[in-house]
Amino acid sequence: MKKTFHLSQGSEGASEDVRREIELHLELRAREFEAQGMTPEAARQAALQAFGDRRAIESEVRTLRGTTVRARGRREWIREMSQDVRVALRGLRRTPGFTLVAVLTLALGIGANSALFSVLRSVLLRPLPYADAGQLVQVWSDHRQKGRAQPEWMTPPDFVDWRDGNRTFSGMAAYQGWAPDLTGTGEPEALGGVLVSGNYFNVLGVSPARGRLLTMADDDAGAERVVVLSDAVWRRRFGSDPGILGKSITLNAEPWTVVGVLPPEFRPPLQVSPEVYRPIRRPATSGCGRGCVVLRVIGRMKPGVTIEQAQADVAGIAARLARTFPATNDKVGAWLIPLHEQITGKTREPLLALGAAVGFVLLIACVNLANLLLVRGAGRARELGVRAALGAGRGRLVRQLLTESSVLAVVGGALGLALGVAGSGILSTLVPDGVRQIQGIHVDGAVVGFTAGLAVISGMLFGLLPSLNAARADLMGALRSGGRETGRGGGAVRNGLVVAELAFAVVLLVGAGLLLRSFLLMQRVDLGFRSRGVVLVNIGFPRLRYPDGNAALGAVNNILARLRANPAIRSAEVTDLPPLNPGGDQDVTAIPVGEARRSDVPEAVWYRAVTAGYLPVMQMRLVSGRNFTPEDRQGSMPVGIVNQEAARRFWPGKSPIGRILAQGEDSTAPRLTIVGVVASAHHDGPNQPLKTELFAPFEQNPSRGPVFVLEPARDPESAVTVFRQVLKEVDPLVPVASVDPIEKLVGDALSLPRLYALLIGIFASAALLLAVLGVYGVMAYAVAQRQREIGVRLALGAAPSAIRRLVLGQGARLALIGTGIGLLAAAGTGRLLGTLLFEVSAFDLPTFVAVPLVLGAMALLACWLPARRAMRVNPLVAIREE
Amino acid sequence: MAGSDLFTGSLDLLILKAVSWGPLHGYAIGRWIRQSTDEALAIQEGALYPALHRLERQGFLEEEWGLTDTNREAKFYQLSRTGRKQLQTELVRWRRYAGVMTAALSAARP
Repeated sequence: MKKTFHLSQGSEGASEDVRREIELHLELRAREFEAQGMTPEAARQAALQAFGDRRAIESEVRTLRGTTVRARGRREWIREMSQDVRVALRGLRRTPGFTLVAVLTLALGIGANSALFSVLRSVLLRPLPYADAGQLVQVWSDHRQKGRAQPEWMTPPDFVDWRDGNRTFSGMAAYQGWAPDLTGTGEPEALGGVLVSGNYFNVLGVSPARGRLLTMADDDAGAERVVVLSDAVWRRRFGSDPGILGKSITLNAEPWTVVGVLPPEFRPPLQVSPEVYRPIRRPATSGCGRGCVVLRVIGRMKPGVTIEQAQADVAGIAARLARTFPATNDKVGAWLIPLHEQITGKTREPLLALGAAVGFVLLIACVNLANLLLVRGAGRARELGVRAALGAGRGRLVRQLLTESSVLAVVGGALGLALGVAGSGILSTLVPDGVRQIQGIHVDGAVVGFTAGLAVISGMLFGLLPSLNAARADLMGALRSGGRETGRGGGAVRNGLVVAELAFAVVLLVGAGLLLRSFLLMQRVDLGFRSRGVVLVNIGFPRLRYPDGNAALGAVNNILARLRANPAIRSAEVTDLPPLNPGGDQDVTAIPVGEARRSDVPEAVWYRAVTAGYLPVMQMRLVSGRNFTPEDRQGSMPVGIVNQEAARRFWPGKSPIGRILAQGEDSTAPRLTIVGVVASAHHDGPNQPLKTELFAPFEQNPSRGPVFVLEPARDPESAVTVFRQVLKEVDPLVPVASVDPIEKLVGDALSLPRLYALLIGIFASAALLLAVLGVYGVMAYAVAQRQREIGVRLALGAAPSAIRRLVLGQGARLALIGTGIGLLAAAGTGRLLGTLLFEVSAFDLPTFVAVPLVLGAMALLACWLPARRAMRVNPLVAIREE
Repeated sequence: MAGSDLFTGSLDLLILKAVSWGPLHGYAIGRWIRQSTDEALAIQEGALYPALHRLERQGFLEEEWGLTDTNREAKFYQLSRTGRKQLQTELVRWRRYAGVMTAALSAARP
């Protein structure tokens, strides 16, 4: 057989091939019949006859042929592709330095994005782990008109009215904290619990792992006492007893029957994980009335109902209640917050800001790589020229170059994913424990897909421009000139890329600067209370033997007396609420007696019971009046001390000393005579607003969970040892809940701002480094390309310093343009940081001055080395090299 | 396609066998089948072509264009590497099948 060069393209060529193949068959077959003695016509007829239905066969073959051709095209494409990949790998291996830098840059850029996305997706993008979680809302009272900025819990009667009166909810459930002591089986233990309305699990859409969950019938006052256990406590305390259902357990000395166990994966929408759930029983009448906010409420909106409709619905009920019960419900509105936002809202802003930062870093990395590839492409102009001369089409060349960047992107992306998985664990510390508990953070398919997509887009971003540029260049010219600069176009593109890089870096640096300034300012805030040298020890008296604070008072005083007698302890005081305790919003409604009620006067006041020496030991400055004394005890006149904030709000322009403060509408609560005013303190942290605060003597308002404030005489460790010893002497069965040096609490309060500033600082540094490297690369390349020109200039008598000026001037121009654009962009994006900024405007002048200075200095430094090299060009060598 | 008197797969096997000695064009393959089977298999000659193209699509045959003895351009078929393997397995299977059938059909009454 003699081979021929046969080219058939497209479907038309294919069907022509089929026709010719069959025609040949018929001709040869007819010739065979002719040889047997037939006439040509008869032979042709016989051949057709023997062949069968020519039309049908031809069309069947044509269809088959079509699929074969397409499959061959794919195989061809794959073959070319693998050839491209081999060529690309060979090329990359030849330049290990470039490859290493490129892959690492990409891996870091992609890895940071991948890690942040895993957190962002887990927390913000994934629905909460409840059935149809989008319908769930947290239902609050709105006391903003009463001066309370935060949403408020609900009163039991209000809850019942809202639950029964609404038309937009399929269910509304209430819950409140509960800390029962478990006795009877093994060691007595204080469990974490929660009181829930009967429909709580129904509203959340949970099914039991064993037995049943609670129902509305369990809420009746006369119903059997039943509880539901968490999976954890069932395993831990009851040894996974399969026969637990129907058994009675003792909680707070009362028998409760276990009716169900929750599934292990159930996480309630709370900051903590309760272990036992019991029905509230009689929520409408339990304890206090419309004056006392004790219930948290979750609602499930009916399908199709929007939050606005639901809000309008409950707001109507609230307005009706305000008219019916003006004494308690006046100015009390409704405030619905989608449960997802309620739980994850605070993490949204920092995560998005960090997401923008890592996005910028990756962009800069891509621009940098594009620049590197451009330079590399220019260096390979000769190679590409040869390929073009050998018949490679322009598209083929572009594909070849794109393959190289794709290989880089794939390797970088794979490494990046590994880094992302590692980094996601670190970044998850950005998310508060309570949120992390509900929205577990892990790397899933979406994160892998995101990373892959990022790698592809990055490859396109940094690969396409250099490829097109290289293929557009005058290839024949490149061959002739031996592979030097292939036209001025490449230079302009490179300069543009450097300008873009610098601009991105400026945006990031400004953001980092603003956050850093915020953090420094936060650190410098005078907290208003002692921030070093005391240790806070929290203990909990078991309810069984100490039913309330009064029962514990004797023991507390006993402990205090022993502590004060010990030489290791300089002073010991007690409060019921330590500073910097984010969970403890202990507020009461306060009404100044004898003052005209003003509509804008806030009535909520934050409340702390403290022993006589607490304020001096905590170095809280007394502004006027007196401190508490040991004489302010039970039976003596109820007294209080307010902070300046409260004094200003309640008695503007007057001295509060001697005035009376009533606690809420409750006539049984004692009215406090104000005896002193202390300077306001940032009890919730330096970046939190000052609150109105009220202090009362611990003796008159004792607590079962006191916090001891120890000022050690020597070192804190021995003070804590002494405390444990003393506690054991007084009551060995009282557990220590926590031991915290005040320094740790202060540090923790700033840990998130510190982390934000640190992370954005790291990203901004990376951006700065990449951008400066980009400037260096472009300038160094420009000098190398213009060696001959510089040589000629020098030969013609130009001073070396003039050459340096030339190079530095070019660099400075790029830096100036890039910084200018970057500053404009930063002014636009600074607002993204929003509440992350603390007492710093988004247009903070020092930041906007410092950033261009730093960047300019670094950019000039990056130009300096190429400029020096340009000065030292030997004109003779440079010109002769041609 | 193939006549119903052809055992399933036997046409494919014959084609693979036909090209096992070297590249052939469609007509030559058909002629070899006719002659080597003494024209006993009454197949429509056209049925050969869908079979050829199917085997090509399956990757058992590769096409190559060349000149016939009379200098006509024609499409030649040759065995690919997987086609050669396929021929081996099919031959083994066919022989076993034929042996079993022969033995069974010539067996004595039980």
